[in-house]
Amino acid sequence: MPPLIPQAPQKEDLDETWTFLEKGIDSVMLKLEEGVDMKHYMALYTAVHNFCTSQKAVANGQGLQSHRGAHLLGEELYKLLGEYLSRHLQAVYTESESHAEEALLGFYIREWLRYTTAAKYINHLFRYLNRHWVKREIDEGKKNVYDVYTLHLVKWKDDFFMKVHKKVMDAVLNLVEKQRNGETIEQSQIKSIVDSFVSLGLDESDSTKSTLEVYRIYFEKPFIAATRVYYENESRQFVAENSVVEYMKKAESRFDEEKARVGLYLHPDISKHLTDTCLDVLVTAHSELLRDEFQVLLDNERQDDLARMYRLLSRIKDGLDPLRTKFETHVRKAGLAAVEKVATGGETFEPRMYVDALLQVHTRYQSLVNEAFNGESEFVRSLDNACREFVNRNKICASSSTKSPELLAKYTDSLLKKGSKAAEESELEEMLVQIMTVFKYIEDKDVFQKFYSKMLAKRLVHVSSVSDDAETSMISKLKEACGFEYTNKLQRMFQDIQISKDLNGSYRDWQEKVLDDDDRKKLVDSHFQILGTGFWPLQAPSTDFLAPPEIVKTAERFQSFYFDKHNGRKLTWLWQLCKGEMKTNYIKNTKVPYTFQVSTFQMGILLLFNENDTLTYEDIQKATSLAPEILDPNLGIFLKAKVLHISPEGTKPGPGASFSLNYNFKHKKVKVNLNIQIKSEQKVESDDTHKTIEEDRKLLLQSAIVRIMKSRKKMKHVQLVQEVIHQVKSRFPPKVPDIKKNIEALMEKDYIERLDGDEIAYIA
Amino acid sequence: MAANQTLTFQSSDGVDISVDRDVAERSLLIKNMLEDLGDAHEAIPIPNVNEAVLKKVIEWCSYHKNDPPSTGDDDDSRRKTTDIDEWDQKFMQVDQEMLFEIILAANYLDIKGLLDVGCKTVANMIKGKSPEEIRKTFNIQNDFTPEEEDQIRRENEWAEDR
Repeated sequence: MPPLIPQAPQKEDLDETWTFLEKGIDSVMLKLEEGVDMKHYMALYTAVHNFCTSQKAVANGQGLQSHRGAHLLGEELYKLLGEYLSRHLQAVYTESESHAEEALLGFYIREWLRYTTAAKYINHLFRYLNRHWVKREIDEGKKNVYDVYTLHLVKWKDDFFMKVHKKVMDAVLNLVEKQRNGETIEQSQIKSIVDSFVSLGLDESDSTKSTLEVYRIYFEKPFIAATRVYYENESRQFVAENSVVEYMKKAESRFDEEKARVGLYLHPDISKHLTDTCLDVLVTAHSELLRDEFQVLLDNERQDDLARMYRLLSRIKDGLDPLRTKFETHVRKAGLAAVEKVATGGETFEPRMYVDALLQVHTRYQSLVNEAFNGESEFVRSLDNACREFVNRNKICASSSTKSPELLAKYTDSLLKKGSKAAEESELEEMLVQIMTVFKYIEDKDVFQKFYSKMLAKRLVHVSSVSDDAETSMISKLKEACGFEYTNKLQRMFQDIQISKDLNGSYRDWQEKVLDDDDRKKLVDSHFQILGTGFWPLQAPSTDFLAPPEIVKTAERFQSFYFDKHNGRKLTWLWQLCKGEMKTNYIKNTKVPYTFQVSTFQMGILLLFNENDTLTYEDIQKATSLAPEILDPNLGIFLKAKVLHISPEGTKPGPGASFSLNYNFKHKKVKVNLNIQIKSEQKVESDDTHKTIEEDRKLLLQSAIVRIMKSRKKMKHVQLVQEVIHQVKSRFPPKVPDIKKNIEALMEKDYIERLDGDEIAYIA
Repeated sequence: MAANQTLTFQSSDGVDISVDRDVAERSLLIKNMLEDLGDAHEAIPIPNVNEAVLKKVIEWCSYHKNDPPSTGDDDDSRRKTTDIDEWDQKFMQVDQEMLFEIILAANYLDIKGLLDVGCKTVANMIKGKSPEEIRKTFNIQNDFTPEEEDQIRRENEWAEDR
């Protein structure tokens, strides 16, 4: 039982009042578990109130405060309370000395809890003092006067905490070390200590606010220092005894642990500091060692370990830069090696093999970047750099830097041409996307364009595209990558074909009206394509050709129809691209007559045999006007297919030979394709393409220069060169001497002139 | 915590008065005590307030039991104005002795709202009155010497209405 029903003390008497209060405070501070009864509580509050409101105490005031209104009482009580707390804490300290380590932590926490609970009570009991005397003191700017609760904290800090914090922290750190060593510990103890340290952070200028000052100095600092020492030792030892891969695993699990530790019992304020310390000791200190392992991991494609290394090094400053360089080199080497492997097969490899080799390397390392390096943009850039290198400068490109775009275009052609391994539509689309991946890295994009448009022209003219959709899809991809200008001609070509289809329709309607019966009998079934000269990469035939009369008639009829429609246009017949089908009525040993698929040149030759069974080489040459380089191989094709016999037997077509029709021609198919491309043509074509590229580049450079000068009027030479490079590099990487040469050329043509001080001006 | 729990106050002259807990908690003293000690199962002694005054205080608390808790000590608008709402004005129409008893009780029990109303009421009684009138109103003997009075007047010249 608490003391007898308390009798309120004489209110003016300080000693009596304090004696009474001290007894009450004692029971709150030391025997709270026994409970405080209400009468007692009210009596204590009332005693404080009565003392502070007593009249007589005025006499004790030294008149110092009287200049600010009414005199407030309470200073003595405040002082006595402070002294009481000091005495109490001295006792606590004395008792604490017999404890150490975990026992000390337990003791500290117990006393802290008891003390702060009591503080809350006492703060309530002394509320009248807080409301008046303390408030006045604080309002007047007095330092070192706090509300009663804060006074408790201040006293705890000054009279107890300052004496024991080191010993307490030592115990905490020992406990943490135990846990780091894998033992189970009482985490809540540390949590309580942290809370206590945090509570002691008082803002000196405003006691209602708290700071983390005390916690930072007395907890965080030693904690961080201990962490550093611990991991320094651990990592040094671990590295000496284990592989780098094992170390990375260890380090990563340590990071996770420390992160969890913050959540479990530390103050979040320590988080960054703790992480930085761990990074410093666990990663930065060993970063060289880690990086040295990078190449080994790459060589062995250890994706998980690479990812781990990335995660660790990405967290320290500049941790990844050296890896990027290594990665770039590695990818480049891999690309070069893959190309070299293709090249060992000699000149005969298929474009597909080459492109696949490039793609494989790219795909492999792109997935590595995504999986292990988090798709980080810097690594993507390294990958791009490496790919650009090995796509444009490898063994196969060694002879000619434009080999890559050429092969890529050829591969594309092989996909888009009818009769390729008939890929499924979605599969085809997928492959086109992959082509674009390689295309992105191609520097000589103009070369690709050249070859592509050549091949597109052929596909369109020969109606051998796998599908219009696929063609459109590819063109729009190129447009997306390089802009409207790049694909302009391609699109126009595509349009021409569509327009030609309509034109043939109206031609047939027209024909119906104009033809007489005689014409009708001799009518040759025909289809015409009108191809705009500027858009199509096609040349007039390289040989003279006298078309057979049947064809000439058809052609003239169409011409008159066309000129009727479009006055003033000029048509050039591209005989070398024309083809047709002929029915063989002279062969008797078959029920269904054979159909020959032939070029117009071949048609010209074969139709001659309608009049004669045997013709000399000279006859044929005279009748067709074909140049020998065209005539000879075509005759060769006929001989090989046994459509014609040569005499004398076994010789090659040429002057002096004569040819006769083989009436006993046999073939396992009804349709016989004789329109085979001649090898030499292919080669010439490719060389031509390369030649025109040089010419086109000159034009591209000059037009860029003129364009720039026209808009800038005046410019330094150096700047102009830079600007040209900038504008042109999306097509091909221009060489500075070439640019200079073209600037000179334009000066000669008076487009631009040189001024003083290395400046160039546009001549309007 | 049951909202309408009933407590008993015991006045200084030994009279028990029942009061709803939410009403009682307008007094921060009572509120804090209940918080510290838990529920009260016996009469709460109020040693400084007699029955008449305590009843008056409870009446005020009952009327104001749903007021929002006062917003900090530096609520300027509350401090500057001497306006008192109608109910409170009527409530304060008591003899001077009772008025001062109420103010003291409010101060003791830590009922900020009531203390404010009490002080404002007194302030309104002073407002616009000469020292002599004020002395008369509160029945105060002038214990200043003429010199002291002079000095005070000089010191407070700045506050004069001019």
